[in-house]
Amino acid sequence: MSKPTVGIFGLTGCAGDQLLILNCEDELLTIVDLLDIRSFVMASSAIDEHAQLDIALVEGAVVTDRDEAMIRRIRERSKLLIAIGACAATGGIPGMSPQLDRQQLYDDVYGEDAVFNLTAQRGRALADVVSVDAVIPGCPIEKHEILGAIAALLQGNLPRFKEYPVCTECRERENRCLLIRDGEPCVGSVTRAGCDARCPSLGVPCIGCRGPAVDANYRSLKVLLMSKGHSEADVRDKLDVFARLPENALAGGPAEVPCAD
Amino acid sequence: MRRLTLVEELARVEGNGGITVELEGEQIKNVEFNIFEGPRAIEAIIRGRPAQDVAGIVSRICAICAGVHYLTSIKATEAAFGTRVTETTQLLRDLFVRAGNIESHALHVFMLAAPDYLDYPGATAMAADHPAEVKLALRLKKLGNTLQELVGGRAIHPVNPVLGGFGRIPSPEEMIRAREELLWAINALPAALGFVAALPPTDVCDAENAYAALVMPGRYGYFHGDEIEVVRADGTRQRMAGKAYRDLTNEHVVAHSFAKHSGFEGRPFAVGALSRLMVNERLVNAPGQLAMRRLGLHLPSRTPLDNNVAQAVELAIDLQLALDTIEDLLAGALVPQAPVPVKPRAGTGTGVTEAPRGILVHSYTYNEDGRVVAADVITPTAMNAASIERHFQFAVDQHKGGTDPALTKKLEMIVRAYDPCISCSVHLARRS
Repeated sequence: MSKPTVGIFGLTGCAGDQLLILNCEDELLTIVDLLDIRSFVMASSAIDEHAQLDIALVEGAVVTDRDEAMIRRIRERSKLLIAIGACAATGGIPGMSPQLDRQQLYDDVYGEDAVFNLTAQRGRALADVVSVDAVIPGCPIEKHEILGAIAALLQGNLPRFKEYPVCTECRERENRCLLIRDGEPCVGSVTRAGCDARCPSLGVPCIGCRGPAVDANYRSLKVLLMSKGHSEADVRDKLDVFARLPENALAGGPAEVPCAD
Repeated sequence: MRRLTLVEELARVEGNGGITVELEGEQIKNVEFNIFEGPRAIEAIIRGRPAQDVAGIVSRICAICAGVHYLTSIKATEAAFGTRVTETTQLLRDLFVRAGNIESHALHVFMLAAPDYLDYPGATAMAADHPAEVKLALRLKKLGNTLQELVGGRAIHPVNPVLGGFGRIPSPEEMIRAREELLWAINALPAALGFVAALPPTDVCDAENAYAALVMPGRYGYFHGDEIEVVRADGTRQRMAGKAYRDLTNEHVVAHSFAKHSGFEGRPFAVGALSRLMVNERLVNAPGQLAMRRLGLHLPSRTPLDNNVAQAVELAIDLQLALDTIEDLLAGALVPQAPVPVKPRAGTGTGVTEAPRGILVHSYTYNEDGRVVAADVITPTAMNAASIERHFQFAVDQHKGGTDPALTKKLEMIVRAYDPCISCSVHLARRS
């Protein structure tokens, strides 16, 4: 079997998902042996800009017009396009706080007279611009998930990920519930599992970096957090970072408190 | 004037950047370090947010410096609130930031910078001919990550450090396991330094420079300390309080490049490992001194490539000091404890630290509810941008052969030696 041709790319973001691949220190030399890597700018200056790719792994959000041209070009030359990490999956931190006017934010940071030679807007997910074949969640992605995804792709399968929330993993680890017991603003109940409840296991509330779980019940979380003394604005702030709330996700709400220990 | 892109997409650096020259006839008039990374306006986006949410957002500025961004954010917020933490917390923070330095330097020296000297496109290609050295570098890099995970809960974007302390204090058993790997690394270090010492001498440009670094209190480290020292090109020195960082950086628009640049007394300065050694040479421990002799590093330096060598020296310094810190912790400081209570108050706090690539400043103003009113983050690559372009200019002026591939390679090696984090620096995004 010939090795699949692969490109690893970064749009606007922190480069953490590419770094996470480089952080697979024990597996890295095996990975580069199993794959025919044609482009990985962060690691190598040997770049084949024209190769047809079997697999493109792309991190980062689409922020500039350059990002947009890049992702369209990558889509054209790739059989499979895999979004890696929160920025590529949902827009991530560059896409947070959708209610804030980006031009105003740029003026505040760079000065009103600053004129960019790149057009920039709020970070968009790759899927907002091109079709995406699979998404590896996380900020950053988890080592076991990227290695599992590469293994699946080598077998000709698309990777699959847990759809249930961090809460389930946290319960499996028999952690003390930070939300119900301590009233901490933990959003593990609406966040996709796969991290083995990393933060709550350390006594630190989940901030939702793996993005929304499937069928996340935001309204129920809101009611629960408000019963612990958090305001609706606080709840919105917490979910504003990674969750990308659908419209009206927090509207209304039952009177009774769900999951009351 | 004609613009010519020498490097479309700079490889083996963090983020998206390039190199462009402006030509008049065949004469190079100007060299630019271009930044394509999109703006994220993180300083503006955190306004209004509660103090405990800030570190988790700002660490996303950059993955390679995520740990030190996270901790510098905490340092700034605690300065604003007047928080006093325990000795355990201080030791663990020192260890955590040092671990990030070990990881970043092992990655940069061996996998990002070294391939240039030996004419490989990258470390995995280099591994075909130098398998033992690349495996050694990967294991050193992994050690940095293992320590970061142990203390920080995660290597990229830590979660365990919080305002006032840590979510969970690592156990002695975990520390003892980490110590085993450190002992291996200390034994393996001479081979790693031997590889660096054997890299062919490479001339990119010859110039004196000015340097700035955190003044390290007590011992060589990257987190503690509140003063900055500048060493001018003529060797004279000046100290300033960390919170007066604007006197150092003086961010301003430079007409020729349309970029916000830093300059002290109107002149570029460098930050990073070489600058840290210039400012804190008296604190270099025995393994560090040995490494300096072995690698032939003489201060003051006249080439930006010495920053690669200085990073290797810091690896030697850090492995020993990480071990010392672990011994200190095991001697009694490793006590399970909750974070100290943090009481918000209105005011401004500034945290100055050393990221692997140089001085990092976070400064926040909070209201009485502990919500962010204003934030300022100045990154090492933003400070280095003017110095990078100055070295570019020296390289161009001293190079014979016009815009040939040899010049492009020199320019790439210069910018890589600064170990730039382009995501970090985007706050100086180009204007036109």
